Amino acid sequence: MAIYIKGKGNISPQQTWGDSPLLETPVLANGNRFACVEPDYTQFMDVRQLRRMSRILKMGVASGSMALKDAGITVPDGIITGTSYGCLEDTGIFLSKMISNVEHALNPTPFIQSTHNTIGSQIALLLQCQGYNQTYTQRAFSFENALLDALMELQETPAQYFLVGAADEITDTSHAIQQRFGIFTDEHHAGAINGEGVAYFVLSGEKSSQDKVSIHSLATFYNADETALNNGVHQFLADANLKAADIDLLLMGTQGDASEEAVLQSTAGSLFPSSAKGHFKHLSGEYPTATAFAVWLAARMIETQTVPESVSIGKANRPLQRVLIFNSYFGKYHSLILLEAC
Amino acid sequence: MEQLMADLKKQIIEALNLKHLKPEDIGDDQPLFVEGLGLDSIDALELIVLLQQHYNIKLANPQDGPQIFKSVKTIAEYIRANQPS
Repeated sequence: MAIYIKGKGNISPQQTWGDSPLLETPVLANGNRFACVEPDYTQFMDVRQLRRMSRILKMGVASGSMALKDAGITVPDGIITGTSYGCLEDTGIFLSKMISNVEHALNPTPFIQSTHNTIGSQIALLLQCQGYNQTYTQRAFSFENALLDALMELQETPAQYFLVGAADEITDTSHAIQQRFGIFTDEHHAGAINGEGVAYFVLSGEKSSQDKVSIHSLATFYNADETALNNGVHQFLADANLKAADIDLLLMGTQGDASEEAVLQSTAGSLFPSSAKGHFKHLSGEYPTATAFAVWLAARMIETQTVPESVSIGKANRPLQRVLIFNSYFGKYHSLILLEAC
Repeated sequence: MEQLMADLKKQIIEALNLKHLKPEDIGDDQPLFVEGLGLDSIDALELIVLLQQHYNIKLANPQDGPQIFKSVKTIAEYIRANQPS
């Protein structure tokens, strides 16, 4: 069963909001940290609402608003969010105050807003949306699980509109801790850039004449070796009644990372010899919910029937009917998400 | 009292992140909640913490909150009456 993308909003290290053409001027990371290009949030909410929000909440509310506006929807039937890190900035403030104030006189705001489900709740509060609201937090499968939930919900009741997305942020503290662990710095992770981003989509099970892109299916593979991954990809294609040659573009989530590159490249090369290939993590950076950026990118590429030079490895030589996102998060979490033109 | 109220206004703006306001925008008797500055229940908790952090005053009875936090002036009066010497 397919679900249809009715609207999308994306705040990422690239200029992905507003009217500019798709990746017209790609931003390249300077160093091993890639921060989002953020809009003026007063376009999306009142300054009195903004004052209490951390950066990830502002990004979540803004990208959710963009998606709803794009879809022409005021209040969705439900909100589903995937986030691995949750609201790190508020978590960091709360924990730091615990230490500095010796567990006394702690400010309530960072505590209240430190939980993972604050992003989806904040959007619901502002929209007065009392429908289904769920947050998934399973590391690098958080967005995939949010999407799976949407697929299942919309399969049961197609005539609904769900706001589905993912959000993860970098803070100075999280970046320092990750570097201390050797992530983004040591020889096994050389080439990976720490990234962040928030992307929301309005999805429905009902097709309309304006729809251009659908999400067809998805699969996740935890800790799979090359054989298991190969078998998994074969099964995924068989379940979708497709052959590898039906995939017009394979959008790969590798980041020049020695620990993951080999398996994914080898699987992609051997299983999809005739498909054009592209990369996205040099544009988004590496973070657990980077596949939400990839879904936005794949949808935009299908809509516009263009593969930006900054994405492709060699020119795509046929129309983009199907784009398969093949992601790897440090070689441990692999996922496939198939998008199709309507 | 004047100095205390001026300090309080700055502290309230900082604690509640009211960046769109300057201290002189807040009247001494202006209501802080609902129709005044539009503060809400989470702000009330922040004000309780502010009293504790800056003036070492712990609100003995939370039921007194609405009366104490009515305006900058009522907070200043409460501080004067309850600040440890």
